[in-house]
Amino acid sequence: MNLKNDELTKSINTVGDVFVKDARIKARNVNVFYAEKKAIDEVTIDIGNKEVISFIGPSGCGKSTFLRCFNRMNDTIDICRVEGSITLDEENIYDKNVDVVPLRARIGMVFQKPNPFPKSIFDNVAYGPRIHGLADNKSHLENIVEMSLKRAGLWNEVNDRLISPGTGLSGGQQQRLCIARAIAVSPEVILMDEPCSALDPIATAKIEELIHELGNDYSIVIVTHSMQQAARVSKRTAYFHLGKLIEVGKTKDIFTRPQHNQTEAYISGKIG
Amino acid sequence: MENKHIDSSFDKDLNKINNNLLKLGTLGLNQFEKCINNFGTQNLEEINQVIAFDEKLDELDDKIQKSGFEIIALRSPRAIDLRRVIVALKISTILERIGDYSRNISNRTKVLIELNYTDLPGVNIGKMGQKTQQMFEDVLESYTNEDDKLAIKVRNSDFKIDKMHTEYYLEIISSMQRNKKLAPIGTHLLFIAKNIERVADYVTDIAEQIYFLVNGKMLSDHRPKADETSLKIPE
Repeated sequence: MNLKNDELTKSINTVGDVFVKDARIKARNVNVFYAEKKAIDEVTIDIGNKEVISFIGPSGCGKSTFLRCFNRMNDTIDICRVEGSITLDEENIYDKNVDVVPLRARIGMVFQKPNPFPKSIFDNVAYGPRIHGLADNKSHLENIVEMSLKRAGLWNEVNDRLISPGTGLSGGQQQRLCIARAIAVSPEVILMDEPCSALDPIATAKIEELIHELGNDYSIVIVTHSMQQAARVSKRTAYFHLGKLIEVGKTKDIFTRPQHNQTEAYISGKIG
Repeated sequence: MENKHIDSSFDKDLNKINNNLLKLGTLGLNQFEKCINNFGTQNLEEINQVIAFDEKLDELDDKIQKSGFEIIALRSPRAIDLRRVIVALKISTILERIGDYSRNISNRTKVLIELNYTDLPGVNIGKMGQKTQQMFEDVLESYTNEDDKLAIKVRNSDFKIDKMHTEYYLEIISSMQRNKKLAPIGTHLLFIAKNIERVADYVTDIAEQIYFLVNGKMLSDHRPKADETSLKIPE
């Protein structure tokens, strides 16, 4: 697919600027099918360098399905088929030669429910660097673990019990451990699928603070059902409805004067 | 106002603030209309009623501020809902201020009656008041129907009030220069004319808020102005 942006703009129905100048990820005319059912319908969007973007929309709108396309998590579902083009730094991530293991290191993911491995706190974070061979020696590995836990805002809470099981932490701490695990392999993009939906407001605030900080170094795509959260953490917001990308724009515009009436209806609680 | 929230109690809250604002607008208009009429009829009983009634406007404004504050805190309104609440709070404050001007005009009219006021040549306060009253009526209609075109028309009408104000200002000063005994009357007339001009300004502010409510953006061009009283030296 070699369409230029201008030509693409004519072919899509999304309201707002789907393209950004410094795109890391470029999704073009993406369709996703579960068997015969079309879950994503001709979605085109850029994810910018070091931008935090939220995907919002009612349940079943396809926002998580689309998010999972970015690191080929949908490959794990037999009946799922992805069409169109998605590139990371102009490299087609769906190329048959792409190995998904390093891809998922470059595009890390944090899930709705914290899912630490049944290992120690240290080993949870060290797992990725070990399998990807990122540490030269033991002290380098320890340094990566410490830096990752610090960046995830967890170091001060766990540095005296790194050998304790990760599953013994509170829900919010477990989620930050998962974020530390994701950033330990130096990703370029972090995908977050409702990362705070299982957390209390304090733990949520800590994750949101973390997202603000991580946004200085990584591109972050966050799927959330909380519109307040989307408004708080992201600079750009994309609204999905029935598999289509209805509108994308600056978060402050989407939440104060959306252009599309479906966006307006959703964010003001008139459809769900 | 469109009422289709999934949570219908949200609609009730929005309707409540909207209805109270319309009520405040109607009361504010009545107060202004009466104070302008009373200026002409010099009916002391009616004047005192306007002065006493002003506290009702203050109370209603307090009620609107409280309910708007609660909607923001409890409902987290967004988009048109957010604009509706913010605009209601702003307009309510403006209407309360217009009420204060109606009371002030009434107070000064009482003094003018004591001073045995008669019209000064070339000064028609009643006409200026009626034109402002028409703007006030139009802006309330514009709010009720969310009619941004009418709001722009109201905004552009302010120019005429400014011109009248400048004209009357010069005439009143001129009368006072000719006859120094007219200074007390002239001074109150200057304030009354200025108060009416300020009411027209406030009505224009409301019109601009309505434009923002409907369109989600402020009017970008500058408001037409013709009040030159702060620039002109009377001859």
